[in-house]
Amino acid sequence: MIYLDSAATSLLKPPSVYEAMERAVRTMASPGRGGHAPAMKAAETVYDCRAAAAELFGVPEPEQVVFTSSATHGLNIAIRSLVTPGGRAVVSGYEHNSVTRVLRDIGAETDPARSPLFDPDAAVRAFREKIPGAQAVICNHVSNVFGFVLPVYEIAALCREQGVPFILDASQSAGAERVDFSALGAAFIAMPGHKGLMGPQGTGILLCGEPGKPLLCGGTGSESRNQDMPDFLPDRLEAGTHNVTGIAGLLEGIRYVAAETPESIGERERRLKSAAAEMLADVPGLQVFSGGESQAGVLSVRHESMDCETVCALLAEKGIAVRGGLHCAPLAHGTAGTLDTGTVRLSFSPFTKLREVEKACGVLRKIVN
Amino acid sequence: MQHYLISCRSLTYAQRAVRVLERAGITASAVRTPQSVAVGGCGYCVSVSYKYGVRAAALLREEKLLHGRIYLRDGDGELREAEL
Repeated sequence: MIYLDSAATSLLKPPSVYEAMERAVRTMASPGRGGHAPAMKAAETVYDCRAAAAELFGVPEPEQVVFTSSATHGLNIAIRSLVTPGGRAVVSGYEHNSVTRVLRDIGAETDPARSPLFDPDAAVRAFREKIPGAQAVICNHVSNVFGFVLPVYEIAALCREQGVPFILDASQSAGAERVDFSALGAAFIAMPGHKGLMGPQGTGILLCGEPGKPLLCGGTGSESRNQDMPDFLPDRLEAGTHNVTGIAGLLEGIRYVAAETPESIGERERRLKSAAAEMLADVPGLQVFSGGESQAGVLSVRHESMDCETVCALLAEKGIAVRGGLHCAPLAHGTAGTLDTGTVRLSFSPFTKLREVEKACGVLRKIVN
Repeated sequence: MQHYLISCRSLTYAQRAVRVLERAGITASAVRTPQSVAVGGCGYCVSVSYKYGVRAAALLREEKLLHGRIYLRDGDGELREAEL
């Protein structure tokens, strides 16, 4: 099988991830729930993962790294901590439902700073206009549909100027782009563990610049007599038993990314994306959403007459895994003008080989011809 | 053998404190706080041997990791509050 759906889940992981997870499930109990060896072994792994994530993302202290079950979980905590009913939140025109549905549920106004694809300057202008008076700004770093790299450092600087808290959705960028918590001065950064960080599904990280509001209440292994949630991180936002097996895998994934460096991984993925875009550029009837330097390792295409799900199904029959449809991001498709058709998305990982991309593009060419 | 137990806000803070002390060459471990002195309920503290107590407390104070009380545990397990 040729797997080109790493924007959904990085199926291929470093072997150390699988090994660590097996070791964890065999030997580790729950951190904070005892002083015996299996509990403390789990605690060491969880702490090591916090420390590794803090180091990778420029977070001052490990306790500011909160474990979640996904980026969606982290975004829910972040958004619900800052946005209230009737408030206005500015988002990019490329957000995922994990942002827009939360705002709808809160009863807040979603105010998109829309800008054309692959035009970072236009994105900055759109945000500059919308930010004053907003309760929060929420922006994804890389569009999960088009791979558009938003100018988040510039947008974060605008937020700081206006005193508006900034939430970054690093779902597609963590592990493949520079994500620097301190440089961004973000209130929160949410990311999944199972994409670029090479961990398993069911893991995620929320980097916290403030204590935040708990989404879940319950046991934390600390201050048990107190019926309020602790006022300190990470306990405040981590009620219930940790996903120790997942975190053990995530730790190894983060170690892999740190050793390779996100910049070099991102560069490899961009090269594959550019190669695919070039190979598909002259396919009759195929629109390729290619954006040069403003695009990460995610490429969307659509055919003028073939349904994108049909294309995906035919590719799957040939052993090629890609994702079609709206990718849980109708706002992004609306902004790019692909809401009625959806797109076929090809996404790459550091383990994807050029010959696999060549083969997939060849099959795609045949299918739509 | 006498040990100091230095109370921490949580397990994560205790682990961070252990790392700070180990970097300074002080052997330390995160242990459960005895219920008889755990003011808020369950908690963790850092255990260091008697001879390192003063230095450990100074280091943790410097790192703003000193939170709550410090106890001296005697060889027979008896606890008494200490000031460092």
